[in-house]
Amino acid sequence: MRLLVIEDYRPLRESLAKGLREAGFAVDSTGDGSEGLWYARSNEYDVILLDLMLPGIDGLGILKKLRCGGDKTHILILTAKDTIEDRVEGLDLGADDYLVKPFAFEELLARVRALLRRSYRSKNPSIRIKDVELDLAGQRVRRGKNEISLTRREYALLEYLAMRAGETVSRTDIWEHLYEFTSSASSNVVDVYIGYLRKKLDEVGKPSLIKTIRGKGYTLEAGR
Amino acid sequence: MKNSLKNRLLAGIVTATILLLATFSLTIYLSIRAALISQFDASLASVARVLAGSVEIDGNEIELEFELDKMSEFRDAARPAFYQLWAADGSVAARSELLGSNDLPLLKSETGVVVYGQFRTGDNIPLRVAGLVFAPRPADGEEGRGASAARTMLSLTVGRDCRGLLGQLRFLRRLLVAACGAVTILSVAIAAAVVRRGLGPLNAIAREIAAINQENLGARIGAAAPAEILPVKDRLNDLLAGLEDVFNRERRFTADVAHELRTPLAGLRSTMEVALSRRRDEDEYKAALVDSLAIVVGMNEMVNSLLMLARLDAGRVRLGAEQVRPAEVINSLWSALAEKATERGITFENQIPEDVTCRSDAEHLAIVLRNLLENAAEYTNQAGRIEVAARQAGDFVELVLSNTGCELSAEEASQVFDSFWRADQSRSEAVAHCGVGLALVKRITAALNAEITATVTQEKTFRITLRLPRAAE
Repeated sequence: MRLLVIEDYRPLRESLAKGLREAGFAVDSTGDGSEGLWYARSNEYDVILLDLMLPGIDGLGILKKLRCGGDKTHILILTAKDTIEDRVEGLDLGADDYLVKPFAFEELLARVRALLRRSYRSKNPSIRIKDVELDLAGQRVRRGKNEISLTRREYALLEYLAMRAGETVSRTDIWEHLYEFTSSASSNVVDVYIGYLRKKLDEVGKPSLIKTIRGKGYTLEAGR
Repeated sequence: MKNSLKNRLLAGIVTATILLLATFSLTIYLSIRAALISQFDASLASVARVLAGSVEIDGNEIELEFELDKMSEFRDAARPAFYQLWAADGSVAARSELLGSNDLPLLKSETGVVVYGQFRTGDNIPLRVAGLVFAPRPADGEEGRGASAARTMLSLTVGRDCRGLLGQLRFLRRLLVAACGAVTILSVAIAAAVVRRGLGPLNAIAREIAAINQENLGARIGAAAPAEILPVKDRLNDLLAGLEDVFNRERRFTADVAHELRTPLAGLRSTMEVALSRRRDEDEYKAALVDSLAIVVGMNEMVNSLLMLARLDAGRVRLGAEQVRPAEVINSLWSALAEKATERGITFENQIPEDVTCRSDAEHLAIVLRNLLENAAEYTNQAGRIEVAARQAGDFVELVLSNTGCELSAEEASQVFDSFWRADQSRSEAVAHCGVGLALVKRITAALNAEITATVTQEKTFRITLRLPRAAE
């Protein structure tokens, strides 16, 4: 899952980016409003974390411009402004959630996960596909009774496919949602990681859980 | 309620009305009474004189010229009149038959002068009486002997039932009392209405004032006010406007302070929580600690600045007026910043002549200059230039501090000193971090009786001019 952090206070921006990356997200970050708007428009993010007081364009301005342009990305406002009027204004302008600084990093993660579940129309904190079960909060994967140990990248890829189970997911989509803007990885990295995942997930002699749709991408079949 | 304006006005008006009415009624009553009585007395007196004129004396014989008891005056039983005549020796010479067993009083008076009095008969009938002492006319043809007879003086008292007169007076009294009562009651009612109407605007204003509290200081007194209250109303509205201003500034200040503290707190918390979220190697922990420490140092400075702002506002700071050499102060302040600035390739030049002196509080002037230099060191572009110069302008010394690489617009530059007060607006990068620093600079500058302005030139040079009182020669 790919996130954008727009926050002008450097220590906060950097620690958020670090913590979120460690939690398995691809994170782009910027301290400038106009740059943030440009990022948000040129990439497909799952969640944008938006500070309100920013140089360039302020947070509410970015929110307005994105929503006017029909952007449906989930936006979580992070701000020191805590009055009811401020919250109402932010939510009414189209923000999905509002978190007042200072906040617990755990809570921020939980809210981001909640927004992600909403993005993929699910309220269940775990996803089950056949006998594979993903625990989204704990980022653990089990097949049957066996816990499968995945790297951060592998888990992120499986989670993304599972969130969109039943759909055909293109390589570009995967690349856009899992890799940061500054990442130098090319899109055939996706194929490599699909290979790793299959190796760890699939049982010998049975058809793979992840199906290749020739010329289009991959799909994880829905259903039990 | 006892001490209400309405009650006092009412009490005053009603008391005055009652006093005026009482005086007026008493005057009317007394004059009418005097007029009625004197009219009554006048008729009694004329009866007495007619009677006296009809008495003749013949030797020792007193004769009445005509039969008095046959006159209608002395026969009317309903409103009877009476007379009684005494000889000089005090014996009764004649009296009305109607008197029966009663006697009229013998009134002493000078000869020929009628005196009046009030009398009650044995039957308790009130009488008005007139007494006259007179020399009776001698009988016909005895004029010659009049000399001895003339000394014989007779006393006559005439009385008349005055129940009618007293009744009239009683009626008048009752009428006046009733009229006074009615007028008093009416005046209370009218005065109450008038006072209520008159005080209406005051009540309306009082209600509006009562409705104003901390939450709606934006409200103003809008009720129409009469000329006497208009200044009060205007003054109150001015006061409210001032209060609202102060409250709003205070509220904004508190919100801004909260914001300025929350943001670094969020950074601190997030840095620490992320660092603790998993096992890390020593270098990572160390980096987190260094970041945290930097945030804490920044917050510490801000808290100090806020405290100083609060003390300045409360007027609890004593400012001295020493001879200060700005060149020296700037050199010593810059030495703390020089290393970092040099790393970024920034050149610094202090052009202030050594002998320039100004008169100011050394400690607080140093805080101002340190903030300005720190600001310049932070926002000057890579390989940029910082210059400090001084020029004398009359009784002032102007310190000019300029740095290159300023991205502010002219309008933004003029607002840098109140950036803290405008935290709700989107701010450009440079202003965003000035926070409380420049606000403090401005506040201290004002306390030092100095002036500070900021401009930006076409060449992106940010220039701050600080105008300080010059030291006395």
